Amino acid sequence: MTAGDLFLQQAINGLSLGAMYSLLALGFTLVYGIMELINFAHFNVFMVGSMIAMLVLQAFGLSGQQTILTGLPLVGVLLVGFVVSMVGCGLIGVFIERFLLRPLRNVKGPAAMITTIGVSYILFNVVLLTLGTDSKNFPNPLPPIKWEIGGAVLRMREVLIWGIALVLMGGLTYFVTYTKLGKAMRATAQDPEAARMMGVEVDKVVMSAFFLGSALAGASGMIFGLYYNLAKVDIGFAAGLRAFTAAVLGGIGNVPGAMLGGVLIGLIESGSGQVIGAAWTDVVIFGILVLVLVFRPAGLLGRLAPNKS
Amino acid sequence: MLTRRNAFKAAAGLAATATVGTAGVAHAADKVIKVGMNMSFTGADAESAVRVANAAIMAFDDANATGAIKGYKFEYVKFDDGTATAGQYDPAQAATNARKMVSDKAFVAALGPQMSGAGKAMAPILSEGNLAIITPSSTNPDITDPKFAAQYRPAGKAIYFRTVATDAFQGPNMANFMAKTLKIKSVYVLDDSGAYGVGIADAFQGQIEKNGVKVLGRDRLDPKAVDYASVLTKIKALNPDAIYYGGVGQAGVKFVKQSYEIVPNMIKAGGDGVYSTDILKGAGFPSFDGWYSTQASPHVTEDKGSDVFTTRFFQRFGSRPDDYAVTCYTAAQVIIQAAKDIVATGKEPTRDAMQAAIQNVSLKGSLIGTVEFDPNGDMKNKVISVFQVKKNAAKPLDDTESQFKYVGVAPMS
Repeated sequence: MTAGDLFLQQAINGLSLGAMYSLLALGFTLVYGIMELINFAHFNVFMVGSMIAMLVLQAFGLSGQQTILTGLPLVGVLLVGFVVSMVGCGLIGVFIERFLLRPLRNVKGPAAMITTIGVSYILFNVVLLTLGTDSKNFPNPLPPIKWEIGGAVLRMREVLIWGIALVLMGGLTYFVTYTKLGKAMRATAQDPEAARMMGVEVDKVVMSAFFLGSALAGASGMIFGLYYNLAKVDIGFAAGLRAFTAAVLGGIGNVPGAMLGGVLIGLIESGSGQVIGAAWTDVVIFGILVLVLVFRPAGLLGRLAPNKS
Repeated sequence: MLTRRNAFKAAAGLAATATVGTAGVAHAADKVIKVGMNMSFTGADAESAVRVANAAIMAFDDANATGAIKGYKFEYVKFDDGTATAGQYDPAQAATNARKMVSDKAFVAALGPQMSGAGKAMAPILSEGNLAIITPSSTNPDITDPKFAAQYRPAGKAIYFRTVATDAFQGPNMANFMAKTLKIKSVYVLDDSGAYGVGIADAFQGQIEKNGVKVLGRDRLDPKAVDYASVLTKIKALNPDAIYYGGVGQAGVKFVKQSYEIVPNMIKAGGDGVYSTDILKGAGFPSFDGWYSTQASPHVTEDKGSDVFTTRFFQRFGSRPDDYAVTCYTAAQVIIQAAKDIVATGKEPTRDAMQAAIQNVSLKGSLIGTVEFDPNGDMKNKVISVFQVKKNAAKPLDDTESQFKYVGVAPMS
C-alpha cells in the first residue's frame, strides 16, 4: 500500500464511522435544540436499536454471516430491519418523553437530565438481564462485494452505510426546513413561548423531536450491526460518547453541525489510529474538542444563543 | 457464552451438588476446612468460570466422599468477581471478595482467580491475611515476581500459587514457536491494555526480537472501543508476516472479526486469552479460523491418563473439561494434599499451616505431573501448549475443546 492508498483507506474507515456518529449526534442535537436537555438515554436507545435489528434479522432465519441474500430479498430484509428498529426506538423515545420527562418539564435544574441518565441505565439493564452480556454475532446478509481502488478496499457495506446516512440526513434536513412540523420545531427551538402563542403545539413538537432522534438512533444501531457484525450491551457508551462529542463539536442544537461533527470525529478517530496510535484516540478526540470549545464555545457551526431568561 | 437460563441451571446444579457434597459425609464431629472459590461467573468468562469451578467441586466432593482426611470435610464458597457493568472480571469486585475471605477466619485456603487483573487486586489483601490462594489460569508474571513483592505480597510470604506457567513463559515460548516453526520474519504486536494483555505482549515482544524477528509496531487496543479498522489498516500497510494479540475476549471478539475483513491472510496468534468460547461464539467462523493460541499448561485432556477424569466430568456436568479445568482440579488436589499433610502431623489446618503446607507440597502423579512450587509460588514444572483454530463442523462450533486443534509444545527459551 502506498501512502496515498493508506490515506484513502483511512478516509473510507473514518467516513463510515462518521456516518454512524452523525446519525447518533442528530438525536442529541434535535432534543437539545428544542428543550435544552442533554438526553443521556440516547446512548442506550441506540444500543436497544441494534438489538431490535438483530432480533428482526434473526426472525428472518439469518444467523452469523453464512446466509448471503441478493436482490429483492436483501432489500426487503434490510428495509424491514430498518423500519422496525427505527419505529421501535422512536416509540421508546416517545415513551421516555411522554411519561418520564413531560412531568418534569417545568422543574428547574438538572432533574430532567438526571432522569435521562437513569433511563439509560434502565435500558442497559433490561437488555443485560434479557439478552446477556456476551458479544452477539449480528446476522449480516450483505454480499461481500468490494472494489479495489489502488491498494485501498471499498466494501459494499460502506457504500450502503453512506447512502443510508445521506438519505436519512437529507430527509431530516428537508423535514426541518420545509414541512409544517419542521418549521414548528425550529420556532419552538427559537422561543417556545412565542411559538406557543402563535399556535404551535409545543407538546407535539417535543414528542416528534424525541421520535425522530430516537428513530435515527435505531437506524444507526442497525448500521452499527451491519458494519461490525456485532451487537453488545455496552456499545451504547462507546459510540454514544463519541456521538455526543460530535454534536458538541459541531454546535449542539445545530442540525448541519451534528452531521459535520460526526464526520470530523470519525475522520479524527481513524487518522489518530494511523498516526499516533490506537491507545491515544480518546485523548486526541477530546483534546480537539477542548480546543474547539476554547476558541468557539458554541461549537463549529453553532451560534451562541441569546440569554433566554 | 452462558445464557441467563443456562447460568441459572448451572448455578442450581452447583448448589445441588454442594448440598449433596456436604451431606454425603455427615459425620457429626467432622470439622470444616473452608475454601473460597473466586471466579468470574458474570460476563465474558462466565462459561469457563463454571467449568473450572466444577472441576474443583469434583475434587472436593471426592475427598469428602472417600473421607480423604479423617475428621475433616471440605466446604467451598463461591465468590463472583465479574460484574455486569464491566462485562468481565472487575478488579474492585475481586478486592472486595478477597476482603470478605480474609475477614472470615474460617477460610483457610482459596482457589482462583481466573484473571490476572483480578489477581493483582486480590494478592495484597490475601497477603495481609496470610490466606493462600491457588490460581488455575491467571498467568501474569508480576504477581509472583520477587521484584514486585512489596506490592503483591507485602506481608512477605508467598500466598499466590499457580498450577499454570506464567506469561513470562507463555509469551516468549510462543515467540520461539512463531520464529522457529512458523518462520515469520516480521510481526506487529498488540495488547488490550489489561494486566494480562500488556504483560504477555511485552514478554512476547522481548523474545521475538531476540529471535531476530522484526517488530514493525506495537499498539494498544481500548477494549471498550468498537472500531479497530484504523490500526488494522495501518498494519495492512506495514504488511508484517504475523500479528500477535495479547489480550482476552472483550477486545478479542471485535479484533478477530475486523482483522479477518482487513488482513484475512495474515498469521494471527494470541495467548490463552484467545482460547475462548466467547470469541468462538461472538466472532465464529470463518473469522477465527487459523488463529494460533497457547495454554499455559500441558495438554492432557486428550491423553489416555486423563480419560477417567474427562469421562467423570462429562457425566456429572454434561460438558467436556478443558485444560484449565484440569489445572483447577489439580489446584484443589493441592489444597487437599496440603490439609492431609498437616493433619498427618496431628496439627490443625489453620491458615498459617495451610500456607506453609502448600508451599512445601509435593503432589505426585497428578494429571499435569508432579506439582511443586518455587519460593515465589510458581510451579517448578512449566509447559506451554500451542493450539490452532480449525473448524470442526461435526462438533459444536463454540466448543473450545473441539475447535482448537493441539499443535504441540512451544519451545523453551
